[in-house]
Amino acid sequence: MLKDIRFASRQLVKQPAFTSIAVVTIALAIGATTAVLSLVNGLMVRPLSYREPQQLVLLLQHFKSQNLERIPVSPPEFKDYEARAHSFEKLGAFRYTNFNLAGEDRPERISGATVTADVLPLLGVSPIRGRFFQPEECSLGRDDVVIISARLWQRRFNSDPQIIGTKLLLNGKNFTVVGVMPASFDFPLQLFNLGNGGQFGGRADIWKPLAFTEEEMKKRGSRSYAMIGRLAPGTSLAQAQTEIESINAQMRREHPDNYMQDNSFGGDVLSLQDLAVSGMRPALLILLGAVFLVLLIACANLTTMLLARAAAREREIAIRVALGAGRLRLLKQVFTESVLLSLIGGVAGVLLALWGVESLKAVGAQTVPRLREVNIDLVVLGVTLAICVGTGIIFGLVPGLASSRPELTEALKEGGRSSTVGTRRNRLRNGLVIAEVALALVLLSGAGLLIKSFARLQNVNPGFNPRNALTFEVSLPKIQYPDDASVVRFNNEAQRRVAALPGVQAAGFSTILPLAGTNSDWSFAIEGRPSDNNSPSPDEEKRQVSPDYFRAIETPLIKGRFFSDADSADAPLVISVNQTFAKKFWPKGDALGKRITFDDPKKNPKWITIVGIVGDIRHFGLDIDPKPEMYVPFSQSAYSTTICVVRSNQDARTLLAAIRREIQAIDSAVPLANVRSFETVIAESVAPRRLSVVLLGVFAGVAVLLASVGIYGVMSFLVVQRTHEIGVRMALGAQRSDVLKLVLFRSLKLISVGTIIGLIVALMSTHTLRALLYSVSAFDAMTFVLVTILLGAVALAASYLPAIRATKADPMVVLGHNT
Amino acid sequence: MIKLRRLERRYPLGKEKFFYVLRDINLDIEEGEFVSVMGPSGAGKSTLLHILGMHDSGWAGEYFLAETAVHHLKPKERATLRNEQIGFVFQQYHLLDDLTVYENLDIPLSYRRYSKGERAALVADMLDRFQIVGKKDLYPSQLSGGQQQLVGVARAIIAEPKLLLADEPTGNLHSSQGEEIMELFRKLNDEGMTIVQVTHSEKNASYGKRIIQLRDGWLVRENR
Ligand SMILES: Nc1ncnc2c1ncn2[C@@H]1O[C@H](COP(=O)(O)OP(=O)(O)O)[C@@H](O)[C@H]1O
Ligand SMILES: [Mg+2]
Repeated sequence: MLKDIRFASRQLVKQPAFTSIAVVTIALAIGATTAVLSLVNGLMVRPLSYREPQQLVLLLQHFKSQNLERIPVSPPEFKDYEARAHSFEKLGAFRYTNFNLAGEDRPERISGATVTADVLPLLGVSPIRGRFFQPEECSLGRDDVVIISARLWQRRFNSDPQIIGTKLLLNGKNFTVVGVMPASFDFPLQLFNLGNGGQFGGRADIWKPLAFTEEEMKKRGSRSYAMIGRLAPGTSLAQAQTEIESINAQMRREHPDNYMQDNSFGGDVLSLQDLAVSGMRPALLILLGAVFLVLLIACANLTTMLLARAAAREREIAIRVALGAGRLRLLKQVFTESVLLSLIGGVAGVLLALWGVESLKAVGAQTVPRLREVNIDLVVLGVTLAICVGTGIIFGLVPGLASSRPELTEALKEGGRSSTVGTRRNRLRNGLVIAEVALALVLLSGAGLLIKSFARLQNVNPGFNPRNALTFEVSLPKIQYPDDASVVRFNNEAQRRVAALPGVQAAGFSTILPLAGTNSDWSFAIEGRPSDNNSPSPDEEKRQVSPDYFRAIETPLIKGRFFSDADSADAPLVISVNQTFAKKFWPKGDALGKRITFDDPKKNPKWITIVGIVGDIRHFGLDIDPKPEMYVPFSQSAYSTTICVVRSNQDARTLLAAIRREIQAIDSAVPLANVRSFETVIAESVAPRRLSVVLLGVFAGVAVLLASVGIYGVMSFLVVQRTHEIGVRMALGAQRSDVLKLVLFRSLKLISVGTIIGLIVALMSTHTLRALLYSVSAFDAMTFVLVTILLGAVALAASYLPAIRATKADPMVVLGHNT
Repeated sequence: MIKLRRLERRYPLGKEKFFYVLRDINLDIEEGEFVSVMGPSGAGKSTLLHILGMHDSGWAGEYFLAETAVHHLKPKERATLRNEQIGFVFQQYHLLDDLTVYENLDIPLSYRRYSKGERAALVADMLDRFQIVGKKDLYPSQLSGGQQQLVGVARAIIAEPKLLLADEPTGNLHSSQGEEIMELFRKLNDEGMTIVQVTHSEKNASYGKRIIQLRDGWLVRENR
């Protein structure tokens, strides 16, 4: 064995060109494979880093008749579930919360969560310092304690060992630190598009006990808490589901005013792990398929390369066999060499993958859930090793068999050209080229469709202008800003100051920003359209905006008017709706002037008049059609957190320092958070899609590269093999152009067959991409034509060099040795 | 037809040294002649023939073919002239193994300006004339040596050259097969084709009207 390895290494060193091409080929394929395997492992296979994560579930609600799915729960509902359900070892509720942490120079906003006492314990990760919350701390007046993350502890407190018992000034109020969660602990905020955290909310660094207010306990319909649970030992998901359904039925009976009396209302018990995995699953499966194709192409390449070498060594091997070498020995030698090659390539590939995964994390960790946990661990390395050995054996197989069974008489006969074996192997080589072209085309069409989708998406009009617009969030603490009037005053002043800055064209604010992952829906009633318990009251997206908000984001007014400063708290209540909203509820186009209410229409409600219709905005995603939305003046419905949009005539980021000065001038304790250009907001909203487009694009590129290397290799071999024929033809009158045509035509034939097969396979398989396509058909003719032309051109170019070499053939070399 | 003046072919032999294969060749061959080139092995016969056939271009001196100064022509022009004027027969036949007899005959035509119809007619004509119609779909490996060389000759003259060059055309054949080829050459010469052949056999040479002797690259004697 050792002797074989030494011999194989010597062979590889002797042919540096062959060896380096082979190693690069394997490195590219294994690198791509390892990177995708680590993604699959990190995002899909590896369990969440909590204790027995398969026992963790989320409970969400749905209201089918209102088309509402994955709705959080209200405090009274949570209390009902907590008191009645027995399927859970523990149940908890939490909500995204942000904190303004006062600092020496500048305040900082920190993401976190408000949690009931059981939430952290049920995840099964213990604090490294201090303790969890006690149940009694989840009551008003006792909830002035926090647990912080090790990240925050290190960053802001220099890992101070005396941290427990320290007081932090959060949102203008003192909190005592009672615990520190380990650095490895990630609170599952990103996973759920719940509460105000949104899909793109930061990592949680502060936890505070959740104490429901009396007010909250009265509002069964105000649902804003995520509910998490740990299944009791031996309880299945289905059992928990059944129990939740029966509790839901009880609640419906006990509170007939709050629930539709049909089957519209229900709860879904969902596995946390499944939920975490489901978003990326289609993309990951497609990427897995893609690297499999790349791997196949690499194998085909190496097979042809080793075959060409076997042909060159045919005489040597024939002599060995004639001298008594057994077949098994020869096979072993070939396998040793091919597996050695693939292991060397594999090491290079893993290095490539390490670099690739790091770069992916650098661009995507903010936006793709769990991406930062992805790494190349022992599991991935083990699978990679197995794949390396496997591919080594696969691409060594045919050349191994070929050289262990040489046609002795033919090979040993002086100048003998073995015709039957020759054609058989040529057919194999041709088949491999055809397969490579076909596989590359499949990948290329997939990548083409995704890229076209992505380009289409980039060109979608979101309904506002993201260029030269800066966004940032401001959160006002309850202590200093206890009432709506103070909140409105702060925001109006902030807007006035920012708008007056040189370079600012307009400034406005909203409680919810499009494409930022947050949303908030409210049910309402339309005047003159009474609803009963059998027809649900409508429920649509609602935001509170400042008068200049639409001017700042440049969303057009369609009808009526924008809000103005006159729409103040004591002025008549007004509302704007978007076109989709107007069309949905007033299809005849007479929405303007109509009235709706968010109160119970039977109990002397406050009616709100529609005064404006604005353009549609793609709120949920560039690829999702606009939904009905309504906007109320911020002054008439204030909220503690706002997102400000500053429109500029230049790159708005240059204004940040000035903006921060103005905000700090009003209240030095209020930090700007989540400062992003609007373009970044959009870019982050498509980040998971970009990830798969980039990866698939890179893989398709690698596939085309490998396929062209393969074509180059086979054509070069063909030219060598046909030197005699080419010489004869030139002697009989063939010009250089004829020889060029001869070789190119031959490769064109292979390329065409490969292309046709590839197109058929691609047409049959691109429908699997459908989940990732946007406004592009899986059979988009233009894409197929373009990728075919591209691949054809690259493939022809790859055969051009050998063809040129063929024209330089000197007929004398072939014909002259007849003395 | 052919006029050579001070023709020279040499190969480099290390630094500043050369190995002369042909030296100071002066030769005139009239149209319609049948010339045999003879001489010991290594004398330069094949070299001369390949120069005449324009397979080799690394020579010095003057070469006129049908009044055209070949030494002044660019490679492309040479190829055109060659395609118009010359057919070549090889000792090893050099038929293409993967092509049938029919396809082998068609090769020279495919590189000249013939229409599809003309090509088919010429190939059919040639098959007929050489009485190998029945073998047109066979591959070279299915033919005897004599039959293969017959196809080789047919392929050489199919594009109607004025000059036929043959390098030991019967070298690999039995004498009876060789005679058949030589009879064929005589007939072609009678029809007006100029022929230059290399041969080792006095008997073959006797089919021609003139013998050129080469020795160590020198043209030593001419027998008319
Ligand atoms: N490419 C070459 N390089 C060096 N010498 C060559 C080359 N080709 C032929 N020769 C030499 O030229 C001489 C003449 O060869 P050739 O014309 O084939 O002789 P023959 O008369 O037997 O046909 C021989 O000595 C041969 O070794
Ligand atoms: Mg010779």
